[in-house]
Amino acid sequence: MNAKLLSLNDVSVHFRLPGGEMTAVDRVSLDLARGEVLGIVGESGSGKSQLLFALMGLLAGNGRATGQALFQGQDLLALDPGALDRVRGVAMSMIFQDPMTSLNPYKRIKDQLAEGLIVHQGMTRDAAGTAAVQMLDRVRIPDAARAARRYPHEFSGGMRQRVMIAMALLVKPALLLADEPTTALDVTIQAQVIDLMSEIARESGTAILFVTHDLGVVARICDRVAVLYGGRIMEEGLAEDLLSHPDHPYAAGLLAATPRMEAPLTPRLATIPGTPRSGGAMLPGCPFAPRCTVKIANCTTTQPPLVQTAPGRRAACHLIGGAA
Amino acid sequence: MTVDLPAPLRSRSTAELQLRRFAANRLAMLSVFVLLAIVALCFVGPLAFPFTGEDADFDNIAAPMDLTSAHPFGTDDFGRDLLVRVMEGGRVSLTIGFLGALVAGVIGVVYGAVSGFVGGPIDRIMMRVVEILYGFPYVILVILLSLLFGGGTLALFVAIVFTLWLTPAVIVRAQAQSLSRREFVEAARAGGMTGWQIVLQHIVPNTLSLVIVYGSLLVPEVILSESFLSFLGIGIKEPQASWGNLIQAGTSQMETDLRLLLLPGALLATVLFCLNFIADGLRDAFDPNER
Amino acid sequence: MIRFIARRLWYGALTLASLATLTFFVMRLAPGGPFSRNRKISPEVQANIEAAFHLDEPVWQQFARYIWGILRLDLGPSTRHRDYSVNDLIASGLPYSLTIGFWAIVVAALVGIGLGIVGALRRNQGLDYLAGTVGVIGIAVPIFILGPLAQLYFSLHLGWLPVGGMNDGWHSLVLPVIVLALPNIAYISRLTRSSLIETLRENHVRTARAKGIGPRRVLLGHTLTGALLPVIAYLGPASAALITGSILIETMFAVPGIGRHFVDAALNRDYPLVMGITLVYGGLLIVFNILTDVLRGWLDPRVRHDG
Repeated sequence: MNAKLLSLNDVSVHFRLPGGEMTAVDRVSLDLARGEVLGIVGESGSGKSQLLFALMGLLAGNGRATGQALFQGQDLLALDPGALDRVRGVAMSMIFQDPMTSLNPYKRIKDQLAEGLIVHQGMTRDAAGTAAVQMLDRVRIPDAARAARRYPHEFSGGMRQRVMIAMALLVKPALLLADEPTTALDVTIQAQVIDLMSEIARESGTAILFVTHDLGVVARICDRVAVLYGGRIMEEGLAEDLLSHPDHPYAAGLLAATPRMEAPLTPRLATIPGTPRSGGAMLPGCPFAPRCTVKIANCTTTQPPLVQTAPGRRAACHLIGGAA
Repeated sequence: MTVDLPAPLRSRSTAELQLRRFAANRLAMLSVFVLLAIVALCFVGPLAFPFTGEDADFDNIAAPMDLTSAHPFGTDDFGRDLLVRVMEGGRVSLTIGFLGALVAGVIGVVYGAVSGFVGGPIDRIMMRVVEILYGFPYVILVILLSLLFGGGTLALFVAIVFTLWLTPAVIVRAQAQSLSRREFVEAARAGGMTGWQIVLQHIVPNTLSLVIVYGSLLVPEVILSESFLSFLGIGIKEPQASWGNLIQAGTSQMETDLRLLLLPGALLATVLFCLNFIADGLRDAFDPNER
Repeated sequence: MIRFIARRLWYGALTLASLATLTFFVMRLAPGGPFSRNRKISPEVQANIEAAFHLDEPVWQQFARYIWGILRLDLGPSTRHRDYSVNDLIASGLPYSLTIGFWAIVVAALVGIGLGIVGALRRNQGLDYLAGTVGVIGIAVPIFILGPLAQLYFSLHLGWLPVGGMNDGWHSLVLPVIVLALPNIAYISRLTRSSLIETLRENHVRTARAKGIGPRRVLLGHTLTGALLPVIAYLGPASAALITGSILIETMFAVPGIGRHFVDAALNRDYPLVMGITLVYGGLLIVFNILTDVLRGWLDPRVRHDG
């Protein structure tokens, strides 16, 4: 039996706002196998980051998550903070988008890295410190021993993100949640950092849930990919497959909008008309309908269900595999 | 195939949004009303009485509180009506408060804006001056300065303003510095505006919200300063009334007759409360993240 | 770090120098001299007295004499208290002022920070409102109203504490210290509360939570330092407010400290005493500011590295 590491069943995330309730993630169901890298793609406001926060119990005060997130026999969304603390930083780690502010400016790098080992594995300060230095070396921070005694502000953004990766993977988690870890970095550094993540994760068999808006990143390290819009999954499947043959109009639009080196020059770049959905109640039909160029009457009244359209591929669109 | 796009929202100016946020703050709005009521009382109230705060009513020396009599809150040891004296004192204290804060604010803002905008060695020197002045114990400076000008209201005013412009200057200078590096200033310069024009038309208006927030705390500071100086005997002197010296007089009598202390004290405290809530409200309105 | 302290000391010296100069000339220029208000004395006696205090010399010469005196730590004789030198008067009053000031800072910091933390963690609940109320009272009601009222209630009415003076051991300290500390308690608790709330929202706190180390470690190890930095930064300027407050406190509670002497001296145009106390206050302020800056540098490595 192919045991799933993580199983999301109808996970939704809602926020209580002054104007009413807003749904950021709408009944997302996903599976993640051990050691697999799953990319979650979407534009800003698609709710992808909130999904990760919900799993980690880091939602803002006015947010709540519904549904089920089965991980190692427990439902993450049903755990109380104490129980969650035994999972976070142990079997499940997270790295965040902005390396410049995600590290504690008042503590030395070594202490920040060692903390998880000391608290969760009962290591002594010395042992944890040594492990930390080794990990810094592994993520290719030059002169690791010296660097460990430094403070975050003495490092560049790329370096800091490596430190974050070291911190997250030091505890050898089964699952790594990555929230756009390379978005804030220089393009030249991005590739290095991504490859590093992939390498170390593969070494320790860590599965990655990789949130990004960059299809290039998906192509580079993801095994599978799920495309989100308006909080719902539009399409999901094997990365290589989906990226070369997208079925869903949104996924197709995203790919068309990604400029390519080999493509012939066109006078205008392809875009998806309109702007991403921003807050408010869910529309009755498909969330992408307002911007879809091939929609039919059914699209604005009935939400298309996410169904399997081919082996290993799912899509939510009336025009594919569902009722047309 | 047509695409439905949502209708654009009616755009609202930032100032309007900020005003609305402030208006929604009930405590702040209540404070505004109470403050206005007290101001009206102090400035218009005395007109309702046939005597002034300096007229001694020898028939009614040290009269107790009697809301039905000609002296509703009684008189002091010299037969002077307490209520009128407190109102007149309020005139003085409030005028010095608001005017002082305004003048200190303007001086501070211009100084800070120029310093932050010009930058370089001039900025460094200007800030050194501020640093050194900042090192002076505030109360010492005020006392010395008010002595320098021979005591009295004008001296007090100058002394207080001279010490309070420093904080707005520092704050505005920091803001001006970061503003000067922004592109719109470059554009203005390229368009041929002179330094002064840029400072007055671009830098100062953009620091306005910051100034209003911190400036609104200046008013209670000025009022407090005048009060405690008058309390110590260095500020406004008898027979001219100010809340400070009225409180001082009340203190010496407090074992026997509390109202001499309580009436000016309560009004002063109320004004300071209101100003603080208003300042809080302004801060919340201009920066909703600050909670 | 050494360079940092050295620089601050240098600026401190500059400040003191300007302070001395400013004070000197202000006192000279202020209307009314030290002897013009006394009972009528014959012109010859007046001239003699003035000569004894060097007031007949040209101003710049008086100034030079004064600066020389400062450098030798001799602040000169008091013009009002003929038998005492300024050094004597300051030496007698300083211990009282310092004791009250010290305890006021300690109380203000401990109570203020404590209330602030409680307020931030139990937002909008009972304790938070209590702290908030104390806060507003402390900030809005002036010391010179609170002081007399406290005296009225706790001393005259309840008889628990002495009305003033320093004759009853630590009992005498209670009211002055608490009344002096109150505005600072108020401000510090508000500052701590809002600073803590803001720090809790920061990204690095989120990272700490994500490591599953538990709420106590997150608070103590990752939040408190950042949250307290603005409070520590405030303590520097707060000491200036403390000086103002202590002058009022000493007046209200009849404490024979240097604050009382200062007000008397200012009213009596006792130049040397005014200047001496001014310098002492200025010096205290500078030392305290340096201490808080060093503390900040110790806690925040970014400040340290900027020098």
